[in-house]
Amino acid sequence: MIDKILLGHNQFFGVNHLSAQGGNERAAYFSETGRIMDMIHFSYDLGVKAMMMSTHERALLISEELQKDAKLKNDYGVYLLVPYAAKYIRQANEKGLVNIVKDALAGTSLQDKLGMFWRGGVGLLRKDVSKLITAMVDFEVAPFAPLNLRAIFLHDVMTDLILGWDVPEVFAIYARHIEDKYGAIPAFCSKNMPRLVDALERVGIENPFIMASINKIGYQVNPSLEAFENCLRTKNVRLLAMSTLAAGFIKPQEAYDYLYSLPNVASTVVGVSKKNHAEETFGIINKHTEGANGKATKAGLTEAVGV
Amino acid sequence: MKVAVIGIGKMGMLHAGIMNGLQDVELCAISDNSKFLLGFAKSIKGIPGYDDYQKMLDKEKPDAAVLATPIFLHVPMATECVNRDIPFFLEKPLSLRSGEADALVQQVEQKNLTSMVGYMMRYVETFAKAKEIIDSGVLGKLITFNSSIYVAQLFKTGKGWRYSKAEAGGGVVMAQATHLIDLLKWYFGEVNSVSAHTKSFYSEEVEDFAHAHFEFSSGISGWLDSSWSVRHHRLLEVTININAENGNLSVSDDEVRFFLDKAAGDYPAGWTQFRIPELFKGVEIDLGGPQYTKQDVDFLNAVREGRTVGTDIKNAQYIQKLVDAIYDSAEQNGQPVRM
Repeated sequence: MIDKILLGHNQFFGVNHLSAQGGNERAAYFSETGRIMDMIHFSYDLGVKAMMMSTHERALLISEELQKDAKLKNDYGVYLLVPYAAKYIRQANEKGLVNIVKDALAGTSLQDKLGMFWRGGVGLLRKDVSKLITAMVDFEVAPFAPLNLRAIFLHDVMTDLILGWDVPEVFAIYARHIEDKYGAIPAFCSKNMPRLVDALERVGIENPFIMASINKIGYQVNPSLEAFENCLRTKNVRLLAMSTLAAGFIKPQEAYDYLYSLPNVASTVVGVSKKNHAEETFGIINKHTEGANGKATKAGLTEAVGV
Repeated sequence: MKVAVIGIGKMGMLHAGIMNGLQDVELCAISDNSKFLLGFAKSIKGIPGYDDYQKMLDKEKPDAAVLATPIFLHVPMATECVNRDIPFFLEKPLSLRSGEADALVQQVEQKNLTSMVGYMMRYVETFAKAKEIIDSGVLGKLITFNSSIYVAQLFKTGKGWRYSKAEAGGGVVMAQATHLIDLLKWYFGEVNSVSAHTKSFYSEEVEDFAHAHFEFSSGISGWLDSSWSVRHHRLLEVTININAENGNLSVSDDEVRFFLDKAAGDYPAGWTQFRIPELFKGVEIDLGGPQYTKQDVDFLNAVREGRTVGTDIKNAQYIQKLVDAIYDSAEQNGQPVRM
C-alpha cells in the first residue's frame, strides 16, 4: 500500500529549495523536536499517516519519538531515504571515499574479508560487490529499522550517479535486498526519471516506485517537461511527486490541478511548516484523489477541521 | 568521444558520471591511487583502471581527460596531457601558486589546446542571468559591491589534503573563495589592486576566514568575505550586491533581483526579479546540479569544435594571481598589492 500523501521532512531540517535564508529560519523553528511531532500529529489527524524521512542525524530523534508515541507507533508509515548524502559529501572532503566505506563496515564480518581489497591487487568478485552494497544500505537503515518502513528510497545522488556510470545492476542488487531484508518497497529518488525508468527496465524492475520533481514550469524536471510527461503516459511507473509547488513558485490549487492531470501519480510529498497551509494543501489533494483514496481520508479531514 | 578520468574522488566520480551519461560520450578508463576503487569499478562496470595515469593516457588515447586530483598534482598532470595533445578539464583551482603554471599556460596557448578549469558558478542560472544584466549596461556605471561565500563545513581541525598547506596551497580562499573571485572577474574584469586579511581558528595550517578588498580597472571597487566555518549555511552560498549609477543588483544562488531608478533596455523602473525556478532549464542528465552538466557539455563541445572557453586555463591563472595577492597582502597585514 502506498499512502496518497506523505508529510515531507525538508522543512524540519532547514532545506528550502527556493531560499537558503528561509530554510535557516524554519530549521530554527523546528530545532525543538516537539514542534516537529506537533506537526506530525496535526497532519495525522487530517488523515496524513505517513512521512518521508532522510537518515539525517536529527531524524533519529523523530524516529525515537515515533516509537514511543502510543498513537503513531503502530500504523504511522515511514518512507525512508538513504543515504543522507550531505553527510557523506562533508566526510568525503575530509577523509576520502574509501575511508567512508571502511568506517561504515567497521565491526561487520565484511571488514576482514575485504581487507585484501583495500590493499588492492585483487579484483572484487561480483558477490562481494553485492555484499558491499547491501552492507552499506544496512549501515544506513539500521537505526530506523524498528519503524513501519513502507518504502526505502535510494537517494537521488546515488541513483543518478549509478545512472550516469550506467551500472543498473546495482539497482537490482538494491531492490532485491530491500524486499528480502526489510519487506519494504524498493524505491528510487531521481532527477532523471525517464532515463531511470529505462535503466530499471533493463534489469527487470517493472512498475518502479520513483520519487521525482514534477511541476508545470518544469523546475528540476529533466531532461525536459515534455519527456517527463511522455514517460508517465507511456510507461508503467508509480510516481511519488515532489517539488510540486516548484519551491513555492506555484500556488497549491494550480500545482495540484496540473499534477493530477497526469497519469501514474501514486503519491505526493508535501512539505508543510504551517498548520493552515497543511489544511489547505491536504484538502486540495484529497479532492483530487477522493475516488482512489476512499472515504477514510475525507472523514478524517472533516473531523479535524471541525475540531 | 572517449573520456578518461584521473582521480575518482567526489568530483571525479561526478564528472565521470555526467560525461558517460551524455550521448556520444564514453568513459573509457579511470585512474586513481586507490586499487580498491579501481577493483570495484572493474568488477561493476568492467572499465579499465590504471594506478599510473601516464600509462592510461598512452594506452587509451582519450579524446579528452578530466583531472580531479588534489591541487598540488594539477600542473604536473595537466602538463602530461598537453605533452600528448589531449584537451583537459581540470577541477579548480589551477595551482598552489600562480607562477607554477606559467610554462603550462604558455604551452596550452602555443598548441591552441582546449582547456577548462571547473569554475562552474558561471553555469548557475542566476549568476549567468546577472552577467547578462550587468553586460546590458542597464545599471549604468558600476560603483561598489560587497559579496560573500559561506558554508558550514568546518568546526574542528579538518583532516585530509584540503586542510594541508603543502597539498592545497591554502584554505578557504583556495577551496571556495576562488569560485566567487571568478564571478567577480567575469562581471567586472581585471583588477588593479587587492588588500586582504585572513584568519585561522579551526585549521592549523590554512585560513578559515578571509576578507579581501578589490579595486577593478573598470572603476568598481568592493569586498568579498569568505569562510567555511560559518554556521547555518548547509550548502555553499554566494551573494553579490552591486551599487550602480542607475540602481542596484543582488544575486545569489536563489535569485537575481535589481532596482532601476529609470527604465533602461528591456527593463522597467523599479524592481525586477528572477528566481531560480523560472530560470531553470532541464539538462540531458543531472548529477549534483544542472550547472555541472552545462559546464561539462560546454567543455566537450569546445573540444569537438577546437575552440576555447571563458573558464580556460589562462582565466584560471589570473584567478590564481588574485589568490597570491590575497595571501601576500594578508601577510603584510592588509597592505594593498598591485596587480
